[in-house]
Amino acid sequence: MKPGTFATVFSQRETVKGHFLMAVKAPASFRKAIPGQFIMARLEGGTTPFLSRPFSIYSMYSRGDDTFVEIFYKVVGEGTGAFSRLREGDALDILGPLGRGFDVPPSCRKIVLIAGGIGVAPLSFLAQRYGEGIRGTEIICYLGAVSSETLAGLDRLEGICSAVEISTDDGRRGYHGPVTGLFKRDIDLYADDTTRIYSCGPRPMLRGLQELLNGRPGVCQVSLEERMACGIGACLGCVVRIRHEGEEGSLVRVCKEGPVFDIRDVGFGE
Amino acid sequence: MNVKMGVAIGGLTLKNPVMTASGTFGYGEEYADYLDLNGLGAIVVKGLSLAPREGNAPPRIIETASGMLNAVGLQNVGVQEFIDKKLPYLRTIEPAVIANIFGESVEDYVKVAKILSDAGGVDALEVNISCPNVKRGGIAFGSDPVLAGEVTRAVKGVSRLPVIVKLTPNVTDITEIAGSVEAAGADALSLINTLTGMSIDIEKRIPHLKNVTGGLSGPAIKPVALRMVWETVNAVSIPVIGVGGIMNASDALEFLIAGARAVQIGTANFLNPSVAVDIVDGIERYLSDNNLDDIHDLIGTLRI
Repeated sequence: MKPGTFATVFSQRETVKGHFLMAVKAPASFRKAIPGQFIMARLEGGTTPFLSRPFSIYSMYSRGDDTFVEIFYKVVGEGTGAFSRLREGDALDILGPLGRGFDVPPSCRKIVLIAGGIGVAPLSFLAQRYGEGIRGTEIICYLGAVSSETLAGLDRLEGICSAVEISTDDGRRGYHGPVTGLFKRDIDLYADDTTRIYSCGPRPMLRGLQELLNGRPGVCQVSLEERMACGIGACLGCVVRIRHEGEEGSLVRVCKEGPVFDIRDVGFGE
Repeated sequence: MNVKMGVAIGGLTLKNPVMTASGTFGYGEEYADYLDLNGLGAIVVKGLSLAPREGNAPPRIIETASGMLNAVGLQNVGVQEFIDKKLPYLRTIEPAVIANIFGESVEDYVKVAKILSDAGGVDALEVNISCPNVKRGGIAFGSDPVLAGEVTRAVKGVSRLPVIVKLTPNVTDITEIAGSVEAAGADALSLINTLTGMSIDIEKRIPHLKNVTGGLSGPAIKPVALRMVWETVNAVSIPVIGVGGIMNASDALEFLIAGARAVQIGTANFLNPSVAVDIVDGIERYLSDNNLDDIHDLIGTLRI
């Protein structure tokens, strides 16, 4: 049984405009997370925000007997706004790690990350886990943002990845245009079967990536974001259409069967 | 603490009056990691139909003030897969298993009821005539006293199990439906299902839910639920199960004092998966603190 979910805020700061990095001191029972997994977090008491919010795990580490979980998020509404006002020592409830994370097969020698905005969070965790040098895996990241002021997670990625390629919508830094456009330039470099592609970002970006990869040999997993009430497979609020080749497909739970899926299987906008 | 928590609901005996509401607790097993399921009085499983149902297209949920709207549309594995894949686990645990059933026609309800009644391991049926999120069936039966009675009578005719009928609040007078269902032979009533509601994204000028409207649940609806439970308790003589926005033990106690024989915990399970057993403990503590040795010394003791 997974007991008490009581946690406290260890630190919180705004890294780039509107993007907050929060470290939470987790309950002792919190298991080692797989990159791509998430937590459900809820403010204690009160009814605004009412539901828990899902957050990708950005990092996890231990110091002494304590376990810390980091989340990195963008303020988009009332719920995330309330989280952004938490200070050191404030209480919150967390549940996790939840869902199915990224698969990195033993044969993988090159990891390509394609991050759009705050979608960087689970990918940075993946880079951190596999950048620890156990396998000598090369990690290349394509990082896109709306503007140079909102390049979320860049510092950490630069410390882990072999290369970080940048794109901005306003063109003030790096490639001018969507991150998928930048990736398209290099796509032929990543066709061999020891390379794996991982992506997370806004739906239109992921749909664009799906089209780019259509008919090509590369294997790509995406982490999807969806509104959830429970995070544990009961509310059926977070479903997405998943179809394996030649099938009609079905509505499956992002929280339980996901949030990580093979990009070819995802029915975006269905 | 040594208080008697057991209650009887139309032939069904429960060790305590706390159940988990249909659609908020999966098929039980989803929650096994988070609480001691054996601490519950009963588990009401996700609504079952004759054939599997895919449910509505997403987005299906949206948070609202002190609550949420959902339009899941009765996605479920279908009655046969429930019996083959989900029921074996439920048979191994102590709480009563209440199968919530749904159909698009009286014949559908009857078929599902018969199959579950004969399956073994199901302790009661809860007939859903109140789902607001499907085009056919559901609420259409629950908002017409004649149809509500007809479905109830038909299900009672084939079921060897106690039959609970779940009522919708989306009617002018819930006691009229309650009376009709009681007259048709229902063993108990559960109320309320969700209130029909709506929410709009003002940037895109589209509804937040693909289904446009959805069912409102959570603490926002508790006063409405409590009022309807109280009215219904005064209007019928069969047991009433109180449902609607119960977040903690004091909410549950309000329903019991109003006359509910038992309560169901719904949306609260989403926020805190172990809340249902915390509510059992809280009720027990209240009884003990108030020198009541039996839950029946509390039920229906509202002073007006």
